[in-house]
Amino acid sequence: MKKLASASDPLWYKDAIIYELHVRAFSDSNGDGIGDFPGLLSRLDYLQGLGVTCIWLLPFFPSPLRDDGYDIANYVDVNPAYGTLDDFKSFLDAAHQRNMQVLIELVINHTSDQHPWFKAARLAPPGSPAREMYVWSNTDHLYKDAGIIFTDTEKSNWTWDETARAYYWHRFFSHQPDLNFDNPMVMEEVLKAMRFWLDMGVDALRMDAIPYLVERDGTSCENLPETHRVIKKIRAAIDAEYANRLILAEANEAPADVRPYFGDGDECHMAFNFPLMPRIYMALHQEDRLPITDIMAQMPAIPANCQWGLFLRNHDELTLALVSEEERDYMHIAYSNDPRMRVNGGIRRRLAPLVDNNRRRIELLNSLLLSFPGTPILYYGDEIGMGDNIYLGDRNSVRTPMQWNSDRNAGFSKCDPARLYLPIIMDPIYGYQAINVEAQLSDSSSLLHWTRNMIALRKLFQVFGRGTVSFLNPANHKILAYLRDLDRGDGSHETVLCVANLSRFAQPVSLDLADHTGAEPVEMLGYVPFPTITEAAYVLTLAPYSFLWLELQPSHGNPTS
Amino acid sequence: MATTYPSPDSTAPSARTGTELLVLLAAMTPEQLESVLANLTASFPEESLLIASPVAMPTDSIPFLRFVVAPAATPSWTLTAADFVSAYQLADKYKARAILMLGSQSGSLASSAICTLANAVLTTPTDLAVPCYELPPHAGLVNSSIIYPLTRALFASRVRFPLAVDLSLSLRMAERLAGAAHRFTAMNQGEAPLWPVNEAAAAGFSIDQFDVGPRVQPQPGGPDLNTILPLVTGSLFSDIDAKAAFWQRNRPLPPARNAMSMPPAPATDAAAEIAPMLQAFRLAYTNLQEIWSLVLPPNSLLGLKRLAATDAAAFRMPESLWARIVFDFLLAYRLRTINRGHLLGALIPLYLAWVASHINITASGTNPESHIEAVAAAFEAEKPHLISRWRWPDRFNP
Repeated sequence: MKKLASASDPLWYKDAIIYELHVRAFSDSNGDGIGDFPGLLSRLDYLQGLGVTCIWLLPFFPSPLRDDGYDIANYVDVNPAYGTLDDFKSFLDAAHQRNMQVLIELVINHTSDQHPWFKAARLAPPGSPAREMYVWSNTDHLYKDAGIIFTDTEKSNWTWDETARAYYWHRFFSHQPDLNFDNPMVMEEVLKAMRFWLDMGVDALRMDAIPYLVERDGTSCENLPETHRVIKKIRAAIDAEYANRLILAEANEAPADVRPYFGDGDECHMAFNFPLMPRIYMALHQEDRLPITDIMAQMPAIPANCQWGLFLRNHDELTLALVSEEERDYMHIAYSNDPRMRVNGGIRRRLAPLVDNNRRRIELLNSLLLSFPGTPILYYGDEIGMGDNIYLGDRNSVRTPMQWNSDRNAGFSKCDPARLYLPIIMDPIYGYQAINVEAQLSDSSSLLHWTRNMIALRKLFQVFGRGTVSFLNPANHKILAYLRDLDRGDGSHETVLCVANLSRFAQPVSLDLADHTGAEPVEMLGYVPFPTITEAAYVLTLAPYSFLWLELQPSHGNPTS
Repeated sequence: MATTYPSPDSTAPSARTGTELLVLLAAMTPEQLESVLANLTASFPEESLLIASPVAMPTDSIPFLRFVVAPAATPSWTLTAADFVSAYQLADKYKARAILMLGSQSGSLASSAICTLANAVLTTPTDLAVPCYELPPHAGLVNSSIIYPLTRALFASRVRFPLAVDLSLSLRMAERLAGAAHRFTAMNQGEAPLWPVNEAAAAGFSIDQFDVGPRVQPQPGGPDLNTILPLVTGSLFSDIDAKAAFWQRNRPLPPARNAMSMPPAPATDAAAEIAPMLQAFRLAYTNLQEIWSLVLPPNSLLGLKRLAATDAAAFRMPESLWARIVFDFLLAYRLRTINRGHLLGALIPLYLAWVASHINITASGTNPESHIEAVAAAFEAEKPHLISRWRWPDRFNP
């Protein structure tokens, strides 16, 4: 039976606080060293207390796990290591009871080579529907203009299959053959899988790697019109059959190329803002707002029902695919001087180590995450400042078990430590005995409490999720200042002035706020009234890496609008 | 909307062309019912009324009045979530334009009061009309000390009785309240109180209040303060928590209306009256320090220490101290600093201290209403304290 949407507002995702986690890494209930759904369910109160409104689960489907679950062998089941379908349903219901939505992965660009479809395709005659579920060729010269993504491991996007006596196309690892969307059967199967989860009550789908769905010779095989037609069909099916659901696009592309994934509001509801993320880090290290204001100026307008997904870190490397070569060099030098910190051209580190565990830098970056236009997405563990382990392979450096307390295995699992799917972080700075949830819950000055307070504060102001943004241009480039504004529709406005000091030293700034003359700024964290804005320059002094959020309240007879 | 209770009726809706006013009555004695119906028919044409009541109607005495059986609600001293669901369902079913809800013992309301309340939503753009009762001295002090000042400070409303047992509603107000009520009835909590003023304020609906004179107030089934205070404050605190994004905006308070004419406090032996209250407070000061210190900041604890050492005759709780205490308990409720039941229980002796202070102040000649207004003003003045602690609930504060 089809379940109704858990969210009542069709635009719920605009006000959401999304928390990304891997079931495997979060909490182990049965002592096998691997996180599972019952374990995750037992931690829902923690997430609710943190202020999370939407949980994004990394792939939890049956898989050989050669790409952390993005190599799916069955779209409509749960990996037995994480529990059963009933366990998933229990988790889903419990999340909904706490007014949290659930976002899962729809990885449709490729499957595992262990998927029954691929096993059958290899044996099926060329040209048959079963064979054509995937992209085959007798030559590896087709689609030569398409780039290789996993440059550290793959030399070609084609791999020869001895059984099929043909090459198959894979945009990612060679064990992840791409599905062939030119075959209508593929779309049918994808929709079946999608309906399976949406019928169960899942609220949102993250469409992995969607720029690569369709291939055409003589192109980069990215962002093709045919790909957009596929997405529109999926969206149309969702809109026809379900209410208040969401598609989130993973399209690591330049601003102009991401924009089409929103369509006319008829493709994806949300897309990650990949171009912005590395510029935030660059601006911080350079102590100059230009990288941010420059990329924000390039951001195209998006349809009213669409939203950017903002993030500082995620389960992958900090991608530098969208910066220039010089900028990439700078980022490597600035943030990953040890080559082990890099993978696929990006940086495989967590938030806290990236900024040398400087609390004020972490807070500053989070203040930007929570106040830029879009929906913030937190990566599990970053709320307590978890560290990474660059001696683990691939991107496992940032996928270690969640650190709950200072007990054995950080409270993640009761298993023999040797059984853990990955070792717990144990170094003296980020190790679980120093960095864990229990300790930070009992410390009201902890990063966890700070994060919780900031999330709660953001949720009080709809302007952050729904308002416009306009950047100010003060002479001091170490200061980033912008206005968020929301027309409430009743003639009043919700307006917030955000000012951030990107420098490690105190900075003065004079802001031109003449358009808001008469407004009374109220510092939002402490509800502290600041001097009324006049036509003269508005002068502020900011401590190192500090930020101010000021609500511009209308004065009597002089509304800010 | 889901039907919480079946609502059998004796009137086919198809036969109606639309009712002007749906009157939803609480269960009451035949005598009270007769009095209410007489008051209603004295003010409105019978054909414009549809009377809904959980008890059988005296149809022979007023033949042209239309009746419908309302779902049987548990008798309550206030309007409940189930009442609001029923009200909207019936109004929707019979195409009523407005709703008048009259609680238990509404027979004591004057005819003119009923007429005023109903007309407010029938003939003006008012969405919620709330009565302002004339109560005896020292009556309704939970309202005066907590509900009214909180509602006024946070929702910018001067409604003196936010939990009034009689109300009139526009259809859209009824719909909104039914939506809010449904969250409770869906969890079999139909007896939960609702906060119409807060709902109306959050929706941007217009609210008005009217002096209705004296009324016999229905009393809670058990007159136990230990039950009632946590019930009411817990419900109100939850509602405030849910509407935080609304009340943390700066909103102007409507102009003050003419001061209610409250009779002066009778000359009683205040010392004797407050003695058990002060005893409870001082005992709690000894026993509940541990809990209070989890909730209250140092300055408030210091204020309580001074109070505990004050003679009964000179016992006065500063208005700002009381406002901060209520705000800090509200905050602790939100943060679940301790078990919510224990938390609200720990508020009771502080409330008794406030009551003792109020009695002392009024006994010294201050008009009770003046004191209550001063308390409400203190809540407004201390609102920044609440907002700052709400947004940054650090225990390291003054």
